[in-house]
Amino acid sequence: MPQRHVIVGGGLTGATAAITLREQAADDSVILIGAEADPPYERPPLSKAYLRNEVPFDSALVRPASFYAEHGIDTLFGTAVVRVDTAAQFVELEDHRRVPFDALLIATGARNRRFSIPGRDLEGIYSLRTRQDADRIRAEMIPGRRAVVVGMGFIGSEVAASLRLAGLEVVALDPAKTPLFRVLGEAVGDAIARLHRAHGVRTIFEDSVVAFEGSGRVDRVVTRSGQRLDCDFVVAGIGVEPAVDSLAGSDVHLDNGVVVDECCRTNISGVYAAGDVANHYHPVFGRHIRNEHWQNAIKHGAAAARNMAGKSVVYDDLPWFWSDQYDANLQYAGFHTSWDEIVVRGRIDSGSFLACYINGGRIDAAVGLNRAKDIRRVMPLIRARHEVSLEALGDERVDLRSLQPVL
Amino acid sequence: MTPQFVTIVKTNQVPAGEVVAADAGGTRIAVANVDGTYYAFEDACTHEQCSLAEQGELAGTTVTCTCHGSEFDVRTGKVLAPPALLPVKVYRTRIVGDALQVEV
Repeated sequence: MPQRHVIVGGGLTGATAAITLREQAADDSVILIGAEADPPYERPPLSKAYLRNEVPFDSALVRPASFYAEHGIDTLFGTAVVRVDTAAQFVELEDHRRVPFDALLIATGARNRRFSIPGRDLEGIYSLRTRQDADRIRAEMIPGRRAVVVGMGFIGSEVAASLRLAGLEVVALDPAKTPLFRVLGEAVGDAIARLHRAHGVRTIFEDSVVAFEGSGRVDRVVTRSGQRLDCDFVVAGIGVEPAVDSLAGSDVHLDNGVVVDECCRTNISGVYAAGDVANHYHPVFGRHIRNEHWQNAIKHGAAAARNMAGKSVVYDDLPWFWSDQYDANLQYAGFHTSWDEIVVRGRIDSGSFLACYINGGRIDAAVGLNRAKDIRRVMPLIRARHEVSLEALGDERVDLRSLQPVL
Repeated sequence: MTPQFVTIVKTNQVPAGEVVAADAGGTRIAVANVDGTYYAFEDACTHEQCSLAEQGELAGTTVTCTCHGSEFDVRTGKVLAPPALLPVKVYRTRIVGDALQVEV
């Protein structure tokens, strides 16, 4: 009997799942529900080429707007799901309509964290996740204007780079000692800070915002150390949290997002989750990982769809992402939260290096600055989970592809 | 107009399993050696124009642009994995002596 697949979330994960389900289960119905009015699009350009007005919005669409109807995918865009009832098997929309399902994919993604800082509701303070957010920031991007970027994680760093490339004055602020200090450590973080300073960003570290000031509109950021940063607008990149509001009161197990097994299944039969919202059991690392990146959005969504169509697909792709800033290409592969040691190929102060995060002799993850090929070559070593010679790993003369396990 | 072949590289300059850059009258062309068979294609990933000779990793007949992970079939130029959406242009090749020629 044909099944009714409902996908909640019209981002890259939901769209990929819908497209995959259409291929895998031709007779079933597929309903894609997205809170944003736009058809599904890819978010990476929003902080880069689209923000700088270098590419049209349509180039970011996952598929042309007409694709879904042409392929028998029912869509409800601009419609938020407010409640999921897993026992009665329906989702409830904001206008109280109910959409029944046989199988459900939760792909609601994440939403930006909000400040709890005085003045946060002034005009001219932005965060970036959606096309609308990007359009609002774009409207402020007049060469010569002054922006304060709060938070120098990946999004903050990319926005700072785009603002500089567009000819704005940028002050970047982060509470840690360097950008991405906690994730990548001081030496690598410093390299990213230097990249931004070399491109004219004024960086302020180990300081944080205590107030936004202005009348109606922000015109000053006040920091804990007492600095008063005059500005025309602010962009905050202070992280995201999984979007799980619609699951409040449901039986779906939540812990840092929706908890799923290696096959994207939640604790409720017929209910799956994928993408930014899913805290996925990753067999390679033997633990749950919630991943907020492009490749995971696609691959996890596709894997979930195949499982919804009755297959049994284990999702074990190595987490991987890139972050382009100015003309630098930064990439990360693997997963780590701490390290015994960082082994570096090349020199961190040279603008081109690969830094490997080691635990117990094994490579858990690597970050490369202008080392795209090395990242590809280190990925099989991370995935293999065996010890390698750290001396050889750090020796540029040794081809990464030739590294063998230490037995 | 009759097709014209021009020499772009000597075959011994393209090791097996590697991709190298060549020039055909101002057009950058990437040449891949797959077990002794040579494939020539435009040396620019269609996603963000990274050089496939510099940033490409060849495995079998698949070249991966390591900048952002797009994959192409070197025989046809077809996209095998995103973010690239458009194929890379491929060139017909022939070998004359030790010279690899492409049709321009």
